[in-house]
Amino acid sequence: MSATSNASAETTNALPADDGLAASIGRAVFESIHSTREVYGVLVRTLYYIARARTDRDAVIRQMYEIGNRSLFLLTVVIGFIGMIFVLQAGLQMQRVIPDLTMLGASFMELLVRELAPTIVALMLATRVGAGIAAEIGSMVVTEQIDALRMCAADPIDYLVKPRFIACLLMTTVLTLWSGGVSVASGIVTAEVIFQVTPRTFWNLSLVHASDVATGLTKCIAYGAAIPIVSAHCGLSTFGGSEGVGSATTRAVVQSSLAVIVLNFIISSTAFLVFK
Amino acid sequence: MISFRNVSKSFGTKSVLSDVSFDIENGEVFFIIGASGVGKSVLIKQLVGLLRPDGGDILLDGDEVSRFDEQAMYAVRKKCAMVFQHSTLFDSMTCLENVALPLRKHRGMKPREALAAARDRLEQVHMHEFGDRYPAELGDGMKKRVAIARALTLDPRYVLFDEPTTSLDLVSARRVDKLIRELADSLGVTCIVVSHDLNSIFGIATRIAMLYKGQVRLLGTPADFKGTSDEIIQQFIQGRAQGPMET
Amino acid sequence: MSKMFSPIAAAREGLFGLAATLGKMGIVAGQIGRRLYRLDLDHEEFWRNMYKMGVKSVPIVLLTALFTGATMVVQAAPIVQRYGANQLLGWGAGFGILREVGPILTALMISGRVGANNTAELGTMTVTEQIDALRALAIDPIAFLIVPRFVAIVLTLFFSTLYADAVALVGAAYAGKALVGVEPITFYNALTSDFMGIADVTNGLVKSVIFGIAIGLASCTFGMGVSGGAPGVGRAVNATVVASAAGIFVVDYFVSFILI
Repeated sequence: MSATSNASAETTNALPADDGLAASIGRAVFESIHSTREVYGVLVRTLYYIARARTDRDAVIRQMYEIGNRSLFLLTVVIGFIGMIFVLQAGLQMQRVIPDLTMLGASFMELLVRELAPTIVALMLATRVGAGIAAEIGSMVVTEQIDALRMCAADPIDYLVKPRFIACLLMTTVLTLWSGGVSVASGIVTAEVIFQVTPRTFWNLSLVHASDVATGLTKCIAYGAAIPIVSAHCGLSTFGGSEGVGSATTRAVVQSSLAVIVLNFIISSTAFLVFK
Repeated sequence: MISFRNVSKSFGTKSVLSDVSFDIENGEVFFIIGASGVGKSVLIKQLVGLLRPDGGDILLDGDEVSRFDEQAMYAVRKKCAMVFQHSTLFDSMTCLENVALPLRKHRGMKPREALAAARDRLEQVHMHEFGDRYPAELGDGMKKRVAIARALTLDPRYVLFDEPTTSLDLVSARRVDKLIRELADSLGVTCIVVSHDLNSIFGIATRIAMLYKGQVRLLGTPADFKGTSDEIIQQFIQGRAQGPMET
Repeated sequence: MSKMFSPIAAAREGLFGLAATLGKMGIVAGQIGRRLYRLDLDHEEFWRNMYKMGVKSVPIVLLTALFTGATMVVQAAPIVQRYGANQLLGWGAGFGILREVGPILTALMISGRVGANNTAELGTMTVTEQIDALRALAIDPIAFLIVPRFVAIVLTLFFSTLYADAVALVGAAYAGKALVGVEPITFYNALTSDFMGIADVTNGLVKSVIFGIAIGLASCTFGMGVSGGAPGVGRAVNATVVASAAGIFVVDYFVSFILI
């Protein structure tokens, strides 16, 4: 059982501390490759423990509360405003180019299911949940609680990462559905108030195909898996005392957000090319 | 000269200082002693406005500093410097930059000038070799000396020391004591030291005030303290676990 | 499990917390404003923070912008194809990037990287009495620490959004060629056509400045209000990131509305 934090410390010590441009780029590439392998390792081990070991249901439920209920207020506010912003901007542009707003609702619904709902939820969770997981695990690393866990023959991945992984997978989907609802509501109100588009016209699912729903669901699952794994990896590779925890938290937020953005592109383009 | 007159301070319902009065003469090394939590740090922080008294007055060179607002306190803080208990150097700057900061800000020196002057100051405390290191890389005794150098940059007339030897090994502690005594003897700086280190107290103090239950229990020279018949004071200065003192 | 889901309690907690936070941020804003008016800030600290925040964020902003631009094309393509107007792809992706997605995503990434980091630094300094040490040296902590960081955050966000917009458009143009077969020239023409104007660019840039102000205020306020040691710093970082995210979207709506 390899110790993630020890492995990364060894590698960074092995590379010479040169400051030339080529060396910096090279070092960045090496570190990225190494990190990707470590993250992949965390993912594989988590899946292994899900398949083989008993799952502590209480732990999962506790994490579901942490991730879901605690993020509810932020998400509702954010997604409500996004609904309004989208309808406002799209409506304005449509007025400029094609002065006909009957398809405003339809386009909105299509984009909501396929893109906006899962991605915005994921970005918000990346900041809130990603920071939380990294901070919790990171503090445990610097206070040697992780080492204590290992001494009790408990793998930190099984004990800490697995419940968060399962919880995040489930809650991302749940929260996306909730956000979709909130967003539709705020979109309908905005369309009515600003553009005088009736709710009946706005609620138009004609452009929402099965492929869009599939894309949206795939994104939920991908994001829900990526965020806890990436953040847990940042937490597990903390070093350097309480400043290290702060830095791990920041890295978790940035890397989780980047993961969401990159995954978004990959899934969106694949869907676009496949379902053309 | 510094005067505390009937100073009182509470935090919520907990009364820390109830009626503290004493004077500190110029040029002396004045110790404020007492058990942990008795209010020694609280008292000296009020001298430079980091805390405000609830009642009473504090006079420094005739000014009622207890009434000063934050702006007016700036002038006081240039005259009366403070060395914090945990040295409290700025983590993001090297030792040289730490010491140069007051020179840059208050003497209007250019960065290069200030760093050169800072190097001189660090030499005075024998830390000039470590100028380019960051505080995180230094031991406690070394950080303390840098902190003292920083406090001395504006040539203050008074310096407050909050438990200067508490986390130091014995050798470093005696070095710090020696520095403090030299400050008073050769530069005439009035040094006010908060401490519960008996070696320091009886090593370099001119006069001592002991705080107990919110008030000054005894004010006098080290000889006065050694010779007192007060049970509580004897228990403290002999470091006995048993006795009438409540902590 | 006693802490079951209670929407009323959650909403009430949220609203009271919100009011308190806004109040604190208002006070800090006033303190910063007064010193900015007198141009009272430490120059060395300012340049140091500009480097740390601006220069070091470049890789993240570039990566985000590239992928975002490309994703916008993927989203806009079906809509544009439906109207048979491939040449309007530049418009479809372009206005989204310039007006909304560019400023918002740049702000989110900067809030995560710079805002959180700044809160952690200020929080650690508060907990270790370094703020008091500044005051004891007769140095105004607001002018020395806070104002330079605040200004650096706002400027970082402005310049980052500027080049993020450019990079995103480039990414979008090439994604357009790869996925939809729209030539970059066509893409560029659509951008400069009658449907888009300089207003779209300035709209986004004005937003970026306001986002910067929001992130800067949140980060500095939470950083200075830390109590309770290292866990307190962690909580403050979390609060900054959450408040910035919410603030960005709320502000975005009102600014979009006003700047129509």
